[in-house]
Amino acid sequence: MRQLRGAVAGTRPDMPRSTGRSRLPQAWLTAPKVGAGIGLLGIFVLLALLGPVIAPYDPSATGGEALAPPSLLHLFGTTATGEDVFSQVLTGARLSLEVGLVAALFGELLAVIVGVTSGYLGGLADEGLSAVNNVFLVIPVLPLQIVLVEYLGAQSWVVLALVIAATAWPHGARRLRAQTLSIRRRDYIQAARAMGEPNWRIIGFEIVPNLLAIVATGFLFQVTFAIVVQASLAFLGLGDPRQWSWGTILYWAGNNNAFLLGAWWWYVPPGLCLAFLGMGLALVNLGIDEVINPRLRGAGQVKDRLPAPATGPSAGPEPDKDAVLAIRGLRVEYATPHGSLQAVRGVDLTLRRGQVLGIAGESGSGKSTLAYAVTRLLKAPGRVVEGQVLYRPRDEGSQWVDLLKLPPEELRRFRWERLSMVFQAAMNSLNPVLTVSAQLIDTLATHRPGMTPAARVERAGELLDLVGIDRSRLSAYPHQLSGGQRQRVMIAMALALDPEVMIMDEPTTALDVVVQREILSRLVRLRQQLGITMVFITHDLSLLAEIADTIAVMYAGKVVEYGPARSVTRSPSHPYTAALLASFPSLHGRRRDLQGIRGVPPDLRALPGGCAFHPRCPEAVAACAERIPLLTALGASRQVACLMREPSAVAKLSSQQRAPLHAASAGGAEA
Amino acid sequence: MRFWARRLSFYAIAAWAAITANFALPRLMPGGPLNAVLNRFEGQLSPEALDALSAEFGISPHQSLWEQYVTYLGNLVHGNLGTSFTYFPTPVSTVMGQSLPWTVCLLSVATLLAWLVGTALGVTAGWRRGTKFDVILPAGAFLRAIPHFWVGLLLVTVFAVTLGWLPASGGYSPDLTPGLDPAFLSSAISHAILPAAAIVIGSLAAHMLNMRNLMVTTLAEDYVVVAEAKGLRPRRVMYNYAARNAMLPAIASFALELGLVVSGSLLVEKVFSFPGIGFVLFQAIHNQDYPLLQGILLVTTFAVLVANLGADLAFFVLDPRTREA
Repeated sequence: MRQLRGAVAGTRPDMPRSTGRSRLPQAWLTAPKVGAGIGLLGIFVLLALLGPVIAPYDPSATGGEALAPPSLLHLFGTTATGEDVFSQVLTGARLSLEVGLVAALFGELLAVIVGVTSGYLGGLADEGLSAVNNVFLVIPVLPLQIVLVEYLGAQSWVVLALVIAATAWPHGARRLRAQTLSIRRRDYIQAARAMGEPNWRIIGFEIVPNLLAIVATGFLFQVTFAIVVQASLAFLGLGDPRQWSWGTILYWAGNNNAFLLGAWWWYVPPGLCLAFLGMGLALVNLGIDEVINPRLRGAGQVKDRLPAPATGPSAGPEPDKDAVLAIRGLRVEYATPHGSLQAVRGVDLTLRRGQVLGIAGESGSGKSTLAYAVTRLLKAPGRVVEGQVLYRPRDEGSQWVDLLKLPPEELRRFRWERLSMVFQAAMNSLNPVLTVSAQLIDTLATHRPGMTPAARVERAGELLDLVGIDRSRLSAYPHQLSGGQRQRVMIAMALALDPEVMIMDEPTTALDVVVQREILSRLVRLRQQLGITMVFITHDLSLLAEIADTIAVMYAGKVVEYGPARSVTRSPSHPYTAALLASFPSLHGRRRDLQGIRGVPPDLRALPGGCAFHPRCPEAVAACAERIPLLTALGASRQVACLMREPSAVAKLSSQQRAPLHAASAGGAEA
Repeated sequence: MRFWARRLSFYAIAAWAAITANFALPRLMPGGPLNAVLNRFEGQLSPEALDALSAEFGISPHQSLWEQYVTYLGNLVHGNLGTSFTYFPTPVSTVMGQSLPWTVCLLSVATLLAWLVGTALGVTAGWRRGTKFDVILPAGAFLRAIPHFWVGLLLVTVFAVTLGWLPASGGYSPDLTPGLDPAFLSSAISHAILPAAAIVIGSLAAHMLNMRNLMVTTLAEDYVVVAEAKGLRPRRVMYNYAARNAMLPAIASFALELGLVVSGSLLVEKVFSFPGIGFVLFQAIHNQDYPLLQGILLVTTFAVLVANLGADLAFFVLDPRTREA
């Protein structure tokens, strides 16, 4: 059976990774869910400790008024023999919790041993242990426990707890095995194994610490499970009916037909205790789940919220006549537990009809976030805080509309019809359970309701022709296609409605070089054939030199250089553009030495003052750390945001301000 | 058909393991429970009956363990699970034959219903995460921890005792004889409503919470973002793209949890004195009826295996990737 798709964070867009592992639990602990859960658990732990002591009556003392409803004398009423239910509930808390904890402790221990061994050893040992694990999963636990308890004659609660532990481990073991398997494949574990580190050290110091969250959820789940099982077995009359637990109360209530006599106070309190205790455990578990699976966390909003109304600088004059899309003063933030993080910091760009606009930058430069903001696919915690995305359809006499303000239904109609997008992850862009034709046709069916089914099929075939895929592949499922084929299908899909604009978000990054080449030449041809207007996003500037008309280079959420593709790639002006260009091999063209850009992409949480690039810039002077350079014209068609390219500004600098920041490497970037 | 080869070989192993465990359990237990049983029945049964019993149990001092195992397997092939103490001298297989249909009908309908309702709620809750719908998280956590049988107790109190809408116990009205006539069927259905409701309410929350988390995880998948970018209608994105994919792991975990579901439901039968396996189980516990207990364990295990096969079939139909060679 296919493995469950695991807890892997999405790779799009330049979503900030959490930096400090230690920060998480703190935010987690303050979550209301977890707080409420821990509060509930605290109450029950207190009950277990103090219950038998503070119980007003001896729980087994008979002789009071029989079946008395709740009163001040007997808070939860009395049983058929006049015992005080309240005292029984208080006293019973201890045994219920004891069984739960002991069973969970041993059960989880067993789960860790089986799961980790199985996942770590792999091979035959894994096959064998997994088979045992799965067999245990299909055996109904209750009859098994009953048979075991009957044979063992469990009068002691410890034996009972151990029987529960012996039947409760398989679920946890299964999860731990899957997780161990994925951790084992990580580089540092592989390295440790290759260096001959003993297995017990690797398991003890590398693997188990990484499993703690899963072990914790498994443990809490087993506590709930064991307490319910104990109650169930006691209800059936297994174990000592004179030892008070919530299950024992239910057993006597059931035996005396309390539910037929209407004596609800007899069996409702113990059941509610079970439910509230289980709820407390589950709430804490939901919190841990969100730590394990980041997708569950911060799942703040789903619905595409309208952004804050554009204010201030973005309300400028009308864009050029030949423009189809104009981004004005766009700012995007990601809300994090530690304040907001600015991923796009005021971008202005204009896309002209028939043009290919290339956007280049490292990961974290904000280029993908920009694309997601423009298409309104940005998900929480991302949010457009300011700006406009103006669009004008090609139809005569049409008006400019701000995409960021389109109501949902209009936005839905606009999407794909006018603007389509090809995403980076070719492997995951297609729905794995629908055929290629179903995915091409549902787009047509939604936007072209007038089209006959036959015409839709014909169009789907045509689209595959366009990208050079045989029509017979219409009935194929995505997993039957290669990565390159999938991305071509995606391109075909993007062309389906003749959109006015196509956004390509690193469409070839995930593919190998040969396939990249093939897709690119296909795109160049399609562009000539169909005259598509395109935004092409990549971190590979040399690629843009071939395909783009205009290039915008982004760094730390801002455009730092803008101009005609040829001119920008031949004579880059911004030091970052030059560094970016030197760090990638050209797909064809002369060979040259590759140079990485020194340093790491900026931490958007803590951007340096002045020019964001100055810590990595070979040309930076003292003034660069203070002044924020503006995008200024450089010649007729180019713009650059660099203090050192403003002769008038440079002239005014004092000698102190002119001192190079990185003296040692003033000669250029490090190799 | 690697998928089926793998699955079927697993079922073969699981079935063999269950059968063998059933053979080994009484022999591994400390103090020899068989002796305890024989002692317990001393004076109540004639010596001939005791001899027959020990022969039925397959334990005799003259046989090696291997010979006992072969005898046991031979008995099993002929559907011979031994003789019940409770209903002596009725064979276990006959007792099971009478109660199993009740349990299978009740459980299959109730479990399927619980899964469908829970999954539907989970799909909606996952789609609307971050809205008021998130109250299903604490509500589900609460509901999930309630034992099925306790839900049953409440339902009896409210709907049978207080309101008197539905019968409180039994599988059918005692003045009817079981048969396929309308009077009997309607009586059986009205008796099954409350137990079924207890099972549905008790199992719903687990499916719901599971599906919600799977939905939230799936909604972050690229193909869901693509579907939204394509301008498909929200319902289509929700069902054909997100739910359709989130369903696959949901079916897998449903199959894995069947063992738990069955356990919870058996207790519900006891509350309602429903004439199924659960009620027989209760009788067997009271009479320390080892052959019957073991027969129940074996038969319920096989029932879960068959249900798993059904889940595999659903998986096979829904996931094109399993259809590859």
